[in-house]
Amino acid sequence: MKDIRQIINEALEKVKNADVSTLENIKVKYLGKSGVLTQILKSLSSYSIEDKKRIGSEANNAKSVIETEIENKKENLKKFLIDEKMHKEKLDYSKSFYFPFSKGSFHPVIQTIQDITVVFKSLGFAIAEGPEIETDWYNFEALNIPNNHPARDTQDTFYIEGMKALLRTHTSPGQIHVMEKHKPPIKAVVPGKVYRNEASNATHFSTFHQVEGLSVDENITFADLKAVLSDFAHKFFDSDINIRFRPSHFQFTEPSAEVDMQCIFCKGKGCRLCKSSGWIEILGCGMVHPNVLKAVHYDSGKYTGYAFGLGVERIAMFKYGIDDIRLFYENDLRFLKQF
Amino acid sequence: MKISYNLLKKFVDFEASPSDLTSILMSIGIESSVISQGCGWTGVVTAKVLDVQKHPGSDKLFLCRVSDGTKEYSIVCGAKNITLGQTVPLAKIGAVLPGSFEIKNSKIRGVNSEGMICSEKELGLKEESDGIFVLDEKTKVGVPLEKVLGGVDSVLEIEIATNRGDCLSHLGIAREIGAKLRKTVSVPQVKVLKKLPVLNCIEIKSNLCKRYIGSVISGVKVGDSPRWLIDILAKSGIRSINNIVDITNFVMIEFGQPLHAFDLAKLSSKKIIIRESASLEKITALDGKNYKLESGMLVIADEQKPVAIAGIMGGEFSGIDEKTETIFLESAIFDASSIRKTSKKLNLSSDSSYRFERGLGWDIAELAVWRAVNLITEIAGGKQEALEDLHTVKYEKTKIALRFERVSKILGYVVEEAEIGEILRFLGIDLQTKGEMILCTIPSWRNDIKIEVDLIEEIARIKGYDAIPTSKTNIYYSYTANNSFLSSIVEEFRIKLKGIGFSEALNCSFLEVSELEKFGLRYYYKIANPISKENEFLRSSLLPCLFKNLMLNIRQGSETVSLFEHGKIFADVGERKTFSAIMCGRVWHEWWKWTEQKVNPKFDFYFGGGIIKNILPSEEFMIVENLTPPSYFHIGKTAAILFRGKVIGRFGILKPSLTIDIKDEVFYFEMDLESVENICVKKTTFYKAYSKFPIVKRDLSVTADKSLQFAEIEKVIKTVMKSGGILKDYSLFSVYNDETKLGDGKISYAFRLSYRNDKKTLSDKEVNDDIAILLNKLDSDLNVKLRQ
Repeated sequence: MKDIRQIINEALEKVKNADVSTLENIKVKYLGKSGVLTQILKSLSSYSIEDKKRIGSEANNAKSVIETEIENKKENLKKFLIDEKMHKEKLDYSKSFYFPFSKGSFHPVIQTIQDITVVFKSLGFAIAEGPEIETDWYNFEALNIPNNHPARDTQDTFYIEGMKALLRTHTSPGQIHVMEKHKPPIKAVVPGKVYRNEASNATHFSTFHQVEGLSVDENITFADLKAVLSDFAHKFFDSDINIRFRPSHFQFTEPSAEVDMQCIFCKGKGCRLCKSSGWIEILGCGMVHPNVLKAVHYDSGKYTGYAFGLGVERIAMFKYGIDDIRLFYENDLRFLKQF
Repeated sequence: MKISYNLLKKFVDFEASPSDLTSILMSIGIESSVISQGCGWTGVVTAKVLDVQKHPGSDKLFLCRVSDGTKEYSIVCGAKNITLGQTVPLAKIGAVLPGSFEIKNSKIRGVNSEGMICSEKELGLKEESDGIFVLDEKTKVGVPLEKVLGGVDSVLEIEIATNRGDCLSHLGIAREIGAKLRKTVSVPQVKVLKKLPVLNCIEIKSNLCKRYIGSVISGVKVGDSPRWLIDILAKSGIRSINNIVDITNFVMIEFGQPLHAFDLAKLSSKKIIIRESASLEKITALDGKNYKLESGMLVIADEQKPVAIAGIMGGEFSGIDEKTETIFLESAIFDASSIRKTSKKLNLSSDSSYRFERGLGWDIAELAVWRAVNLITEIAGGKQEALEDLHTVKYEKTKIALRFERVSKILGYVVEEAEIGEILRFLGIDLQTKGEMILCTIPSWRNDIKIEVDLIEEIARIKGYDAIPTSKTNIYYSYTANNSFLSSIVEEFRIKLKGIGFSEALNCSFLEVSELEKFGLRYYYKIANPISKENEFLRSSLLPCLFKNLMLNIRQGSETVSLFEHGKIFADVGERKTFSAIMCGRVWHEWWKWTEQKVNPKFDFYFGGGIIKNILPSEEFMIVENLTPPSYFHIGKTAAILFRGKVIGRFGILKPSLTIDIKDEVFYFEMDLESVENICVKKTTFYKAYSKFPIVKRDLSVTADKSLQFAEIEKVIKTVMKSGGILKDYSLFSVYNDETKLGDGKISYAFRLSYRNDKKTLSDKEVNDDIAILLNKLDSDLNVKLRQ
């Protein structure tokens, strides 16, 4: 009598190389009514009780091992045959795919505001909003821009007929609203739409957007302002872009600065976009003027702060290479769908 | 403001080239650019034009013969202004012009040209020029051009911040450079006559005049200015008038103090009165235009009438001309905001008003008058007869205490006390150290320095912002506010709509009244000073702009237009944040794979409504009948959105008469965001356990009266869903309204009902029983019957 172990090996070897038709023969040969293993089990009565037990269990075990293996092989063969059909079903991937809707898009200006505010949020700023129709107090007086000050020249204002109201010329009134509503520490950005009464051309439009920033607390310094704005530029534009602070003047900050960023296209070498200067002006900023703190009844001896303002369209034009600000407001789908 | 590089160097000694100077100026907050290069050439000499002939091969070119005194050259030239006998700059073969442009022997239309006759633009002397540069006819020939031009100068265009009136002069810019480079500024020496009679003819009647210095000079000879004066004024963009006027202008560009000279003989009296004008007074200014004055405008007058609009422009008839012998010279300080107001009202500004508006230095007024008197007597002759200096205010220099500790508190780093002192001294500030602070006396011209922090800015500015470190600590603290620029509901709308092909639009807030009226809308805010008629009103709805966007895109050929916008509208209740969407045309494009698709779906009422229903963030938003639709909606194809008992939005098809020009229906949706903005942020969804047992689906067709609102049928289904517990869902999959088959006034709806028991597998009987309950209820409540 063959060793049962040998029978298993022999059977498994056969199963391994079988195809659909031979597999059934193998099953019959080993497990069928007159199969090898069945024969063994049938002949058990001629053995001693101990041998009966041992051989019986070994044979039964062998049966189940072979049976499992045959079933697995059967399953595998079935899958193989199904997959084999694939080769006749090759589709042309280059024919147009289909999605019932065209590609939607977000407006580049709104998206830029979103992107800017997300960065400032990550730097610990809350986000606030202010009204677009403002009073002279919020838009000018409280920001240390008295009536008949030449600084008003740069912000040609739309006035509302029959009301002592105007359309905000910048988001800076947001600083006043935030400080009126909250006590220091304050750390907020105020994005929004602003209006200037100026003729439109490729770089000016009567409507545009700004993002104002403000942080007021004890011990806020110009060094903090530099840190926050450098971080912003690195997170928003490019992690190794250089920025520089230039002295400037704004009525509501002192000291004031303008921030230039190294042109991200030419890396400072000078190109058409940066008008060969290698630098692009991205925002204005400074330390909150004590008169502004006084206007909201803050103790300007105790608290200091910084403020900044970014022109969203300017940044979006730069980022997306758009050469005419008016394109943003035409809402031509040939423009909008590009974003 | 344009300034001369050479003149600047007379005030302060520095080495920097013009372009390096712009960098220095930038580092201290003055924006500038070089608009005219100095000598940017080599090999250009003066030459005489000996002969001009037409070019044989061109109507527009000339063939010239020029001489540099030793040799004759044949030159082809295209300038119309070339004539015989002129002295011109000749770039010889081998000369190099700005922009590394090398002159080579060349043939122009078949004729050899041995060099080039240059224009000022080609020489980099001006940004624009017309024709060739014609030199003074007395100029020697054969001399390098740069020598003839007397040491070629560069011109810088400078932009000054609104608070820095003191920088509007060569002296002012020199002071800034001096402070940055730690160099002393030298002011031209002036001769002051001590024993001069007092003029005694000036009367100040308004406090808007702070200081008025007048001086009379007799026996002047008015004529052309010397060359150097004409040249230096030209570089500053000022046209030469005559020697007297030119000198007043020169002193202005030197020191920043505007001066004015009157012809004393032309005044009706010998009295100079500074007063506020009465209303209806008139004056013809030096620009030849008539100005109607309003009461309160500061004027200089004789006893009869205004002779000058103070600080802005002189009167035409009292001006200096060639017959003038005795002049009255004015150097004054007027109230800055008064000058600005008048200038704005009259829409008249000048180099003078520009400076007055920004404030002048008390001491400079005096320095300037002496400088002008010196120059007038030197250039135009004459004798200074008298002088008078009157003030209405007692001037005192500003004194500010600067605490050292405060410098680091604002800037975030420590500047050495010695350096602080040095910077401030170079800015002309007198210092007195008192322990932990310095008492600073501010020079009269720096009227922008008013408080301590202004001094701190000066220190930071002159030291350079680059020196301020970037803080490493203390800049972030934890952020708690749970908000973003876009409220969560807007974010949800945007993301969902973008996913199905919508584009976000952004419009400006202005429009024309007719654009509102077209939709039966009113306006609530009118701009008092609009940019144009098309921009006179603030939008009270997003519809007109979106509709305009739709039309634009249809015109340019879009078959599908789906746009949304969110922004402020300006309504009766004030500013409201609003969200709107507009859609029109085919929902999707044809596709080769779906040839069997016969319908070409368009944005209609049900599809549009389906989109809206889908983007609404919660069950709290309900779609209900639009009981008071705005007139721009199709009255039969509109619905409203109810939120907590309040209608907050509406949608529907636009009224057909509004869309006559469009072949498809236009779907519009609008929603007020103010009342829902913060709601969805707080929305919490609770998980519901779902059944493991299979679902049983049944289709059911019913007939109903056409007049019955479908919502009534839905209500019954929902009641059954709530009570029975095994009806879990339903959907309407077909609507059939062939009355010939259904009977008059009948309509049929087909539903797919989903049944499931949460605890066991359903039997047919259970489902049938539940359907029977539903049918029974539909029949008894609404007379809706199973379709046979």
